[in-house]
Amino acid sequence: MKSYEELKETADFICEYATLLMGSGVHTSRVTRNSVRLAEALEVKAELTLFQTSIILTIKDKSGRLDYSETINVPQLPVNFEINSDLSALSWEAFDNHLTLSEVKEKYARLIARPAINKWLVRILISLGNASFCKLFGGNWIAMVMVFAATFAGIILKQEMLHRKVNAYITNIASAFAASLIASATLLLDAVNAEVAIGTSILFLIPGVPLLNGIIDIVEGHTLTGFSRLTNALLLILCLSVGLSFTILLFRDYIQWIG
Amino acid sequence: MDWLDILSDGFFAAIAAIGFGVISRPPLRALPSIALLAAIGHAIRFCLMKYVQLDIATSSFFGSLVIGLGSLYLGGKQKCPNTVLFIPALLPMIPGMYAYRTVFSLLSFLNNLSDLALRSEYMMSMFYNGIITCSVVFMLAAGASVPIFLFSAKSYSLTRPGRS
Repeated sequence: MKSYEELKETADFICEYATLLMGSGVHTSRVTRNSVRLAEALEVKAELTLFQTSIILTIKDKSGRLDYSETINVPQLPVNFEINSDLSALSWEAFDNHLTLSEVKEKYARLIARPAINKWLVRILISLGNASFCKLFGGNWIAMVMVFAATFAGIILKQEMLHRKVNAYITNIASAFAASLIASATLLLDAVNAEVAIGTSILFLIPGVPLLNGIIDIVEGHTLTGFSRLTNALLLILCLSVGLSFTILLFRDYIQWIG
Repeated sequence: MDWLDILSDGFFAAIAAIGFGVISRPPLRALPSIALLAAIGHAIRFCLMKYVQLDIATSSFFGSLVIGLGSLYLGGKQKCPNTVLFIPALLPMIPGMYAYRTVFSLLSFLNNLSDLALRSEYMMSMFYNGIITCSVVFMLAAGASVPIFLFSAKSYSLTRPGRS
């Protein structure tokens, strides 16, 4: 039997855990499964209702006489698979080793304080990835080099804008315009490959993770969160198309219709 | 069959998967598995489309089914949830170009409302690209989820210490 304060403290922690998972791009059924498992490890029973922007959590004492409910907003964080992996492992560790709340909290604090990969390395890898994508679409090495440069500029612009809390839709329009504008310099060197270069230069902006998570949620029965994720991704794709269409309009005399 | 084509398809897909995956901060130990899965999945799709003349959606399904199965096996070894491996591995197969061409066709359709011939052409293009986008994204996620439904006990406990 837990006291009211103990129950509240446990509920606060499970809320923080669940919102961090939800905000980091973990699909809905895993968030539920992990949170319920963590609650069981901390000797309470958890019931969750998940939405894209908020979570409603009810924690019950094992005796069933005491319960505590909380509604908490989900922060919109960048996708982070390391958190997905580490926090899933933490819930199993707590479950198997019967950790106490303070032990779990301590491990949790250590896991989320992990440093990120060097951001310049990330930017170079993304640019390399998009350049190889250009190769998959049949571009030659000139197109690949131009796509590398375009992606590099585009990702810096996107990350810096998001860092300065600019709206995500505006960021996507601006980055797509910048990347495709740089890629359109291929027109001067090799007009045949310019279309492939311009077409692939913005593909790093496609929100692939929310698209896949949305469908996974829907096939697993979490239709509401699934559609929220898909709608979000759809709006981002709409924005990057608008950014790209500015470039196409500028050079419409030189580019064939690429549709 | 041209082995060089298949190998280069897999190779560039692996680099693309690492590039697109690394934005989402996967654990570093998972990167080799992600690259391997992406290469195998993308090469399977390439072969099915080129040599079996299967359509892009069905080929994507088989590619992602293999990625999903592989993510269960490698996830147990790496102590990673299978989504952490298969979502980045699927990213190179996302039909991004078809997705924005759908929006383009819509814009061009609106630009040419008074011209019946152009209007119908853009309408066709919008449906063509839109249907491919939706069905490929759906098939990708569904294909990778099938192993989760088949082996749910295993796929829910990949990060559990001591068993895999």
